[in-house]
Amino acid sequence: MSNRSRREFIRDLGLGGASLPFILNLPSLGFANQERRKQRIVVMFSPNGVVPSAFWPDAEGKLVALKDSLKPLEPLKERTLILHGVCDKVRGDGDNHMRGIGCLLTGIELFPGNIQGGSHTPAGWASGASIDQEIKNHLQANAATHTRFGSLEFGVMVPDRADTWTRMAYSGGNKPIAPIDDPYRMFAKLYGRLKDKENLKSILDDLQEDLRKVRAAVGTEDRRLLDEHAGFVREMEQELKSAKKDEIGHAVPELERGVKAENDNIPRICKMQIDLMVQSFAADFARVATLQITNSVGQARMRWLKINEGHHELSHSPDSDKVAQDKLIRINKWYCEQLAYLAKRLAETPEPGGGGSLLDNTLLVWTNELGKGNSHTLDDIPFVMVGNGLGFKMGRSIRYPKVPHNRLLLSLAHGMGHRLKTFGNPDFCGDGPLSRLS
Amino acid sequence: MPNEYMTAIHRCRSLCWAISIGLALSTTAERGNAAEGRNGEQIYRADCASCHGARGEGGDEYDRPLVGDRSVAQLTRYIAKSMPKDAAKKCSAEDAHKVAGFIYEAFYSKTARERNKPPRIELSRLTVRQYRQTAADLIGSFQGRERWDEQRGLKGEYFKGRRFQPSERVLDRIDPQIRFDFGADGPDPKKFEADRFSIRWTGSLLAPETGQYEFVVRTEHAARLYVNDNKHPLIDAWVKSGKDTEHRGSIFLLSGRAYPLRLEFSKAKQGVDDSKTNKKKPDVKASIALEWKLPQRAAEVVPQRCVSPISGPVSFVLTTPFPPDDRSIGYERGTSISRAWEQATTDAAIEIADYVTSRLAELSGVPDSAADRPAKLREFCLRFAERAFRRPLNDEQKSLYVEHSFAQGREIETAVKRFILLVLKSPRFLYREVGGPSDAYDTACRLSFALWDSIPDAELLQAASSRRLVTAEQIRRQADRMMRDPRSRAKLREFFLQWLKVDAIPDLAKDATQYPGFDLAAATDLRTSLELFLDDVAWSERSDVRKLFLTDSLYLNGRLARLYGVDLSADSGFQKVTPKSGTRAGILTHPYLMATFAYSASSSPIHRGVFLARNVLGRTLLPPPEAFAPLAPDLHPKMTTRERIDLQTRPQACQTCHGTINPLGFTMENFDAIGRFRDREKDRTIDTTGSYLTKKGTVVRFDGVRALAAFLADSDEVREAFVEQLFHYFVKQPIRAYGSDQADELRRFLVDNGCNVRKLMGEIAVHSALLPSDEKTKNRKPHLEK
Repeated sequence: MSNRSRREFIRDLGLGGASLPFILNLPSLGFANQERRKQRIVVMFSPNGVVPSAFWPDAEGKLVALKDSLKPLEPLKERTLILHGVCDKVRGDGDNHMRGIGCLLTGIELFPGNIQGGSHTPAGWASGASIDQEIKNHLQANAATHTRFGSLEFGVMVPDRADTWTRMAYSGGNKPIAPIDDPYRMFAKLYGRLKDKENLKSILDDLQEDLRKVRAAVGTEDRRLLDEHAGFVREMEQELKSAKKDEIGHAVPELERGVKAENDNIPRICKMQIDLMVQSFAADFARVATLQITNSVGQARMRWLKINEGHHELSHSPDSDKVAQDKLIRINKWYCEQLAYLAKRLAETPEPGGGGSLLDNTLLVWTNELGKGNSHTLDDIPFVMVGNGLGFKMGRSIRYPKVPHNRLLLSLAHGMGHRLKTFGNPDFCGDGPLSRLS
Repeated sequence: MPNEYMTAIHRCRSLCWAISIGLALSTTAERGNAAEGRNGEQIYRADCASCHGARGEGGDEYDRPLVGDRSVAQLTRYIAKSMPKDAAKKCSAEDAHKVAGFIYEAFYSKTARERNKPPRIELSRLTVRQYRQTAADLIGSFQGRERWDEQRGLKGEYFKGRRFQPSERVLDRIDPQIRFDFGADGPDPKKFEADRFSIRWTGSLLAPETGQYEFVVRTEHAARLYVNDNKHPLIDAWVKSGKDTEHRGSIFLLSGRAYPLRLEFSKAKQGVDDSKTNKKKPDVKASIALEWKLPQRAAEVVPQRCVSPISGPVSFVLTTPFPPDDRSIGYERGTSISRAWEQATTDAAIEIADYVTSRLAELSGVPDSAADRPAKLREFCLRFAERAFRRPLNDEQKSLYVEHSFAQGREIETAVKRFILLVLKSPRFLYREVGGPSDAYDTACRLSFALWDSIPDAELLQAASSRRLVTAEQIRRQADRMMRDPRSRAKLREFFLQWLKVDAIPDLAKDATQYPGFDLAAATDLRTSLELFLDDVAWSERSDVRKLFLTDSLYLNGRLARLYGVDLSADSGFQKVTPKSGTRAGILTHPYLMATFAYSASSSPIHRGVFLARNVLGRTLLPPPEAFAPLAPDLHPKMTTRERIDLQTRPQACQTCHGTINPLGFTMENFDAIGRFRDREKDRTIDTTGSYLTKKGTVVRFDGVRALAAFLADSDEVREAFVEQLFHYFVKQPIRAYGSDQADELRRFLVDNGCNVRKLMGEIAVHSALLPSDEKTKNRKPHLEK
């Protein structure tokens, strides 16, 4: 409620123009402060489904005990909301892994194409934009919510090939966005300009010295040109000095050096990316982010958990294979730890210029391309949310009767102030945003 | 202002465009006043020069030179009030005005001072073209140069599987261009299955000009195109999705270089291999084409002449935009700087530093794990600075650039980056010849900048350091070697295009009812035809500049042949044909130029005449004082173009200029607005007689463009103008600064060498290289025997 504008509030009440003057005279409605708080949304992806028995809470209502895979969220239970029964109903071309990731945030069919999955017909890219990009465009269109980047697409060990299984975010139909899975590249994108300025500042004295020497060596008639040049260099110096000392509100972060893009470095890369994301929020570089850990059908080998098999390969094991199921539970628990670390970092970081922490104004959504690995179902897609960014009522578990996930995508947009009527395939948007969230 | 002059101006404005010929040095005060007593100059000589000196330089009584920034009106008031010193106010207002006008134009004003300066070699920064070429070669010197040879086409490797498994490679061949329609079959039904095959084409792309290239890959199947980047595709259409069969990507490329190119194609489902389980083979067609689209031209299949089957290393191409160079005196030069230029050099330095540091191990040859990495990287930096500054560094410079950057406990990547920024912002990189006595390294630089607009290569620097760049003979040998490099070729081609006024691609849209078939594709082909002709003349054995005027053949392809009435099959490639024997005269009738110097529906003898007078004959024409509109052909339906122009420019005031322009342009009236031959207009035989009054005062008459061509090919005026323009384009300094007889000497060289353009180009480079910059004396002859 607190983040809705007066106009939206009135519209939602279903009041016409006639009753407006009356309503607006009610001081108790508390619209004195029209300034909206900052709101952020993050989608974190991990692949290959979950082990339902170790994931879903047994009952609806207040979260009491969390199952094994979700244990890392125990300290954040009050700020966690778990949605069961949200299903990806989009069908058409492509196998479930492809549609699983390609329709996850777009809510719309894949185009027919030449990428053949393990079953079903071949397909191409999603035929529409993803919700993170839709929200980003909405925020970027308004000066009050515009940020330098709008959105940032982080990845962790995403294979170096562009296909339906490796892309989750789309700026439009047939327009997949490659996540940046190299923390050094992300660093350069975020802080490159600042580093350049530091370097430039450091050469100015040497450069002026150089210009003086050269000036002395040329003929008198040519000195005019070098004098002019020295003047321009002085101007640059003035500009560099007058630039705000601390325009990002914090020191440029130091990244651990020389971390190579290798399977065994996944934990380090993940942490680096999360740290960069938190700092980019503190600097208000973007209000929307995605964090795609590996890819649909991802094959991370979590040797740091003493698991040597690839994740996808394990996910095909039958329910009766207790050893494999145990490994899968631990794998998902590890992903959950990443979510918890991100939430913790956000909770520890104060909201610049406002009360509370970054997590108070951020909603994290952890999701997956499948409900369950060995059945490849697109029903009961995991949606675990943490944080208070969208005004949802947290600390609960909700069980929905197999609702299409497009309605959740609509809820996310509405929660971010973008009141879409439909998103993705409109056939799956009946009844609008999900009920019972706030 | 005198009435007579006003009337003249008025007449010009109302009647036509007035072009005045010759340097309009005479002042407004002088002009028209001659009859009313003394003019400004006479008054000055009689009453002012005794104190101020004959040219305002000052004398015993008053030693300050007469220079400043007052206007003529301000000067007039001042003179009337206070001059002469011994008899103030003796000078009448009218005389004061005349004197003010004279001194203003003769030596007082800024422009007059500029004009009166003795020509000298001025300190110059790199021009934009030089900066880009230099950046490419500086980085390229650590990557290895691209390779060229005479073979054209792309290397095709054909696989009978969906990806490029070596065991499935069944066919290798050179494909001249990529435009294939395989139908529902494989490239060869015996060797390939119809539903799954893949092809990889590799080689180099020879960029004919600098600019933004848009590539288009057309296919119903998977394709990926890599241009100058072996890792990241410019076009990635490996995922076929929806109905798109056209994929585009743009890249900025520099002329005169070869860029590695790879095109991958696959007709098959990608992703999981289901060929074992799914035996169904649908009847699907496959085709692929690789096209490009250059600015303001139609997309065309990348032509065979621009691809080679050999591929070399990638090149660095700077993308930072720069403000354009000053071209006000006819050629780009770097004698002025601006805030925007300074900012661009910073942005460019950052772009280059980022490129180098992100490929540090590869460029420096020092692995990240090397034990002595810091020391090795310092050596790399020193080499980088030497190449950037085009000479070895002394100890003081080594300390300033290298040691300072690595000091203060900087992280090594930061140190390298800081070092590169400092080097690339240094005047030693940004300017040519920054003082000090001139030496062999200066000679090397003059040669390389003249011929390549870039820094010396390793061999040239080696020659400089081992004292093998001293005698004219040694220098000439290097120049000969360097002229075989594609960069020289590209520079000469760019000279021709700006000489012909088509370096910026003109808009050749023509009246569609009069010229059906003359569309963007035809204009694009004509451009190619012109460039083929220029290359042909310049790089043929004899390289005879006269051929530019005397050739009566044309390069046409199938599409152009139909338009220009030549019998060729529709799909013919470019070939030399003679449309109608004895009608054409090289550039004087080339359809691209005829169409450029024309309106959309009619020829323009005035544009053609102005082009000849200015660019070919080197006459100075001032622009018309005001824009004019040509007489509309509809208003005079019975008149020929020639008659309309005669009518419009008949007044005496116009004839001072049009007396030269029109009779030159009329000789080309056999060629319409798209350069097709015609001998009748409005049912009358076209009159193509014309004339030219030479600088020496002889009237030459000709009938038709062939006669004009014969005159131009043998004219000293044309050679002089050509030599001067070629010199300025290559050296970017005034030719007179190299001695008052420099132009004449080079003109004689041209005549003595069978009008060989290439030899002239080499000679210009050698002459400019031999002049030491520390002896800037006027009239100094090059030390040819030094």
